[in-house]
Amino acid sequence: MRQGSFCYVKGAPVLEGRALTKFYTLGKERVRALDRVDFTAVQGDFTVVNGPSGSGKSTLLNLLALIDRPSEGEVLFDGQPTGSLPERALAALRREKIGLVFQTFNLIPVLSAAENVEYPLLLTRTPRAERRERVREVLAEVGLADLARRRPDELSGGQRQRVAVARALVTQPRIVLADEPTANLDSATGTQIMELLRGLNGEHCVTFVVVTHDPAVIPYAERVLTIRDGRIVGEERRGEPRPA
Amino acid sequence: MTLTVAVRNVFRNRRRALISLLVIAVGLTILSFVLGFVGEAIQATRRSLAMELGALQVGDPRVLDGRASGLEGLISPGDLSRALDLVGGIPGVVRATPQVRFAGLIGDAEGSTFLLAQGVVPADRGDDFARVLASGRFLGDPAAREIVLGARLAERLGVGPGDRVNVATGTVSGTFNAATVTVVGTVRLADGQIEERIGLVPLGFAQRLLRTDGVERILIWLDDLDRAPAAADALAGELAAAGLPLAVRRWDELTPFYSSLETFWGAFSGFTTLAVFVLVFFSVLEVLTIAFLERTREVGTIRALGASPGRVFRGFVTEGVVIGALGGLGGVASGVALSLVFNALGLSFVPPGGNMPQPIRVSVGPSTVLLPFLVALGATFLSSLYPAAKTARLPVVEALRTT
Repeated sequence: MRQGSFCYVKGAPVLEGRALTKFYTLGKERVRALDRVDFTAVQGDFTVVNGPSGSGKSTLLNLLALIDRPSEGEVLFDGQPTGSLPERALAALRREKIGLVFQTFNLIPVLSAAENVEYPLLLTRTPRAERRERVREVLAEVGLADLARRRPDELSGGQRQRVAVARALVTQPRIVLADEPTANLDSATGTQIMELLRGLNGEHCVTFVVVTHDPAVIPYAERVLTIRDGRIVGEERRGEPRPA
Repeated sequence: MTLTVAVRNVFRNRRRALISLLVIAVGLTILSFVLGFVGEAIQATRRSLAMELGALQVGDPRVLDGRASGLEGLISPGDLSRALDLVGGIPGVVRATPQVRFAGLIGDAEGSTFLLAQGVVPADRGDDFARVLASGRFLGDPAAREIVLGARLAERLGVGPGDRVNVATGTVSGTFNAATVTVVGTVRLADGQIEERIGLVPLGFAQRLLRTDGVERILIWLDDLDRAPAAADALAGELAAAGLPLAVRRWDELTPFYSSLETFWGAFSGFTTLAVFVLVFFSVLEVLTIAFLERTREVGTIRALGASPGRVFRGFVTEGVVIGALGGLGGVASGVALSLVFNALGLSFVPPGGNMPQPIRVSVGPSTVLLPFLVALGATFLSSLYPAAKTARLPVVEALRTT
């Protein structure tokens, strides 16, 4: 399947969180960061989880991204519980089905933009020729075809985040989870990134869950969840998922 | 790409990479040089001892084992002739010469001192002693009344080439005999105590002085010292089959200190290898621990992207091995360069236990290149294991939170 042509069938639940609870221990104190949160991401959705700092939105994202385990509750991927899966199986799900975009881009500094994008395909043992082709296509899609050979320190913040988005998309994941993707960008660049994400969502029907405290991100959402003190306190559906 | 990433990560912090590579390179330069020097020192010792003693000696077992008293156990002319015929048939023999040693007094009317004399066939030993000749010439006529003295003995006696001295000793029958001989030369030996006592005389003259036609032992040289064990066995078998009451001893049996010396050199090499290993291990361990910790967040990212802890671990270990390989190549190259410079100086030394100076070179070969390189690889591989395992096993979220 060519990078530019794929689109998942919309409507089926991809990622679900059931009664997700997470405790952290701070000194002698046990802090509840997340309190029985239910969450469902449907294929093709563009969901924004909005909330102030310390509200538990990043904790929720970590649990949904399968990089952390809930203290209580269960995360289901394609309807399958993940709680009993070993780390190896979770890693396989992450590299094959989930794309991640970080607030601080988290690019590997010794690799070029193209190599950073190619890296997840190495993890999935994609053949070399296919890797190169997919990298070329996805970099073109995020508008960085001409900067493929540049290292992260030779790119602007917006360009770095585009590379991170390309890296998240290159494996053609079912869902992309983005943690404050605009937080380290100026407003104009943040707008460009959100338009890019929304465009990719529309084109490929990839599910997007964006965690943010930036109100400027909310207009791009089809669904907005508000989280406060570890609980979902509001849900607003702003529009139907667009047709593929 | 794992290797590409590893190589780039090595040079991420150039100053730190340079220090690591320098430590490895310096350690390996020393190791390569020491191994080359020790290897050559052992060979030089073997050459020196074998040059003085021969690769094999044939004689009465009591004489060869130092159990003979006085001049007992000499080889008769008949046995000597038969033995030399048998020696000539042993593969690899390049020359054989009889010898007799005796103790006596040397001096003049003013006084005398102790003498350890060797009766040698001048034509057979001229080349051996030419390199230690300090003055005059070596012996010429096989039966002439000539003597070559140790330089210190000559100084003590106040004589030099052209001077005459008296030599006195007991004969095989226990009577006393003396003769006046001409000093024709002096030799300078590494062992000062021997140089104060030694005198070399023609075998024919020694036999007349001792009133015997026998010799004490036969010295045999081989084209390859490593053939000594096989040649000794073969010759011992031939002598026994011929009914000759003579034994064969190898050069290393006649110099029991050689095995101690070899053990010492071996221990020295082993200690140096271990020291370099430990130096590289701990230096690289510290560098890698810091380097890996600095990249904890990056590890979190890679793990979040779906890399297994094993993959992260392998990446870090590859990085350690890359440092080892690069440092190892540099170290071995500079070690070889240092060895070649040393060899170009053309130095010589007298090996421990020997008297004949030998050219000292630092050998350059697989053992001085491959072993140090493997030491570098092994040390860096081992030193990368702990920090790599520690970093790779960090929980992903915890790693991502690291700044």
